[in-house]
Amino acid sequence: MPSAPSRAPRPLAYWVIPQLPTADPLPMDEETETYLELYLDQCAVQDDFVPPRSPLFSPVVPYVYTPNPSNPETTFNSHLESKETSGNFSSVDLSFLPDELTQENKDQAVIRSKHETEENSETQSQQSRLPLPSGQDVGPGSDSSSLSNSRSHLHPGDANSIQSAPAKPNCNSSPLASITPMTPMTPVSECCGIVPQLQNIVSTVNLACKLDLKKIALHAKNAEYNPKRFAAVIMRIREPRTTALIFSSGKMVCTGAKSEEQSRLAARKYARVVQKLGFPARFLDFKIQNMVGSCDVRFSIRLEGLVLTHQQFSSYEPELFPGLIYRMVKPRIVLLIFVSGKVVLTGAKERSEIYEAFENIYPILKGFRKA
Amino acid sequence: MPGGGRCPDCGSTELVEDSHYSQSQLVCSDCGCVVTEGVLTTTFSDEGNLREVTYSRSTGENEQVSRSEQRGLRRVRDLCRVLQLPPTFEDTAVAYYQKAYRHSGIRAARLQKKEVLVGCCVLITCRQRNWPLTMGTICTLLYADLDVFSGTYMQLVKLLGLDVPSLCLAELVKTYCSSFKLFQASPSVPAKYVEDKEKMLSRTLQLVELADETWLVTGRHPLPVITAAAFLAWQSLQPSYRLSCSLARFCKSANVDLPHPASSRLQELLAVLLRMAKQLAWLQVLKLDKRSVVKHIGDLLQHRHTLVRAAFQDGMAEMETQKELQGRGQGEEVGSSSLGLPQGKRPASPALLLPPCMLKPPKRICPTPTVSTVTGDENISDSEIEQYLRTPQEIRDFQRAQAAGQAATSVPNPP
Repeated sequence: MPSAPSRAPRPLAYWVIPQLPTADPLPMDEETETYLELYLDQCAVQDDFVPPRSPLFSPVVPYVYTPNPSNPETTFNSHLESKETSGNFSSVDLSFLPDELTQENKDQAVIRSKHETEENSETQSQQSRLPLPSGQDVGPGSDSSSLSNSRSHLHPGDANSIQSAPAKPNCNSSPLASITPMTPMTPVSECCGIVPQLQNIVSTVNLACKLDLKKIALHAKNAEYNPKRFAAVIMRIREPRTTALIFSSGKMVCTGAKSEEQSRLAARKYARVVQKLGFPARFLDFKIQNMVGSCDVRFSIRLEGLVLTHQQFSSYEPELFPGLIYRMVKPRIVLLIFVSGKVVLTGAKERSEIYEAFENIYPILKGFRKA
Repeated sequence: MPGGGRCPDCGSTELVEDSHYSQSQLVCSDCGCVVTEGVLTTTFSDEGNLREVTYSRSTGENEQVSRSEQRGLRRVRDLCRVLQLPPTFEDTAVAYYQKAYRHSGIRAARLQKKEVLVGCCVLITCRQRNWPLTMGTICTLLYADLDVFSGTYMQLVKLLGLDVPSLCLAELVKTYCSSFKLFQASPSVPAKYVEDKEKMLSRTLQLVELADETWLVTGRHPLPVITAAAFLAWQSLQPSYRLSCSLARFCKSANVDLPHPASSRLQELLAVLLRMAKQLAWLQVLKLDKRSVVKHIGDLLQHRHTLVRAAFQDGMAEMETQKELQGRGQGEEVGSSSLGLPQGKRPASPALLLPPCMLKPPKRICPTPTVSTVTGDENISDSEIEQYLRTPQEIRDFQRAQAAGQAATSVPNPP
């Protein structure tokens, strides 16, 4: 994939590219080239088109495009309008746009491959994500305001380029989460397409009021309380399917969720149940304490060899446990590696730690692929 | 004493060693004060004056070898002697125990844990010197639970930051097989069952190596594999008399416990041998099964390296081996068709060389994870919460039921 190191970074609108008329220097029949490359070819011709203001290039300023188009955008748009394509976008690949804007859903892989090339060129340029310009250039019927809202979500996902990107919480971020590859959400693993799946999240929250566990056990259907066995009420809810331990001090532990958001929602539901039972429960200091993920590398692993070469991190006692316990130092994660190639990762406080740990272990395991 | 002694009364350093009725004394030559009688341990403060003190206030107390530690050290030495370990092992194990005892977590642990700690220290010593001692043996000797043992062992390794090598399989084979009572005729061992130790050892070792190569050992307890291998080795040395003997009977004759997984290891090992046998032309004709293949174990072991390479392929199959087999298959096809076998019969195409857990079909299909669009901040409807709460009527019923239950349990027994 040819990279574009020498080109000055500029705002891109790569969904527009394929539709530009043939008078354009763009080679229209180059379907192998990604849209990014096509656009950058075009930009090479228009080098005098550099936008004076570029908030994108400073590493500190988050990549947020303001809804009111600034100079670069208007000039850009006007330029495009001169080669106006009319509203016909049927052949444009809008797969990376959120569902509400596109007409068809394409494969995630398409998006990912685009992101990969994007990330390749990103290392040279500071530019991370592409703004969608004003509404008029998008497919018919799309609301420009919704676009500008979503645009503000095009945060730089690359951790190495821009760190302090504040999220805009009030907009619907989930549709665009698939486009903007923030490292936590869709890790593009360079080594393989395997992504660890989260299996369990343990979180704690402080309800900040003393609780009468007997009363809770009496009034709630989904609670069990056996003070002789354990000094907490065990409560369960069906959606999300989780279990909570509620202590008389007002502290609560919530387990069993499959994602951070589900854990938070579940904890809120438990707090609401406690509230309905008459206690002045609040929702303070919600914190994820542990995340467990698992995945399958799909080849068998010689655990004896692994324990020999990575003695300082591994512990393999077949008399006690069939798996190898690998204590990774950075990130601080414990991995259980089995001969069948299944890997369990635990001890993470952040999703990214699990992904990072798997990225670190995969090349090591590949080295033990054959006997 | 010329070195550092001072008289507590006058402070002079002129202390003379003198004896009074054959009891040695230290006397100040200035004032005549008897500084010390006899040679006993002293407190630090009195060390200068060399005064005799009680044990509880003496420097002996500072060495802090508490009674329980002393007991533990004695247990370590006893265990080493019971296991008939070389004498150097004893000192190392004692040193590990003392090192562990420095940590407050160990000092404050329960007696059960300290007892198990004894076994852990001995185990680590043996592992580091390649002495094949299994955890099961230690647990049997200490009457300890394997769970408690494993917890203490992992904690100790982490605490002391030790590098403990894995169990040496070859040594374990030798030790374990030597413990079989099959090398001399006895009332429980018929004449036909007696076997030469060296032959059995070497064959067992080869079978265990074969099992290791074909993924039967990784992740599993080593001992059942060795039991199964020893059984096959013993059977194959005189198949005509011994094929009728079962694994359980074999262990009983050998006066050895039969570990539970040994029978499944045996089946796996036989399956491997059968696949290897299918690569040999003269054996392929015989249509071997799990019993008859035992007679040919000797041949199979002799050529085990080539046969394993031929019979199995890795997940990433090399094209050369495929072609090689096809070439061989052609030859054998001709041979087999001449013997009237059905057309198109080739030697078994290479099976995948994988651990048995990967070859078995999965017990349950892992459901593909659904992408959830939960944000965590959704509204929680009242009705959803209310479904988890009891109505007042239900509360009354529940309380009544609870009271009834308690009344029933608290009814006093009639005298």
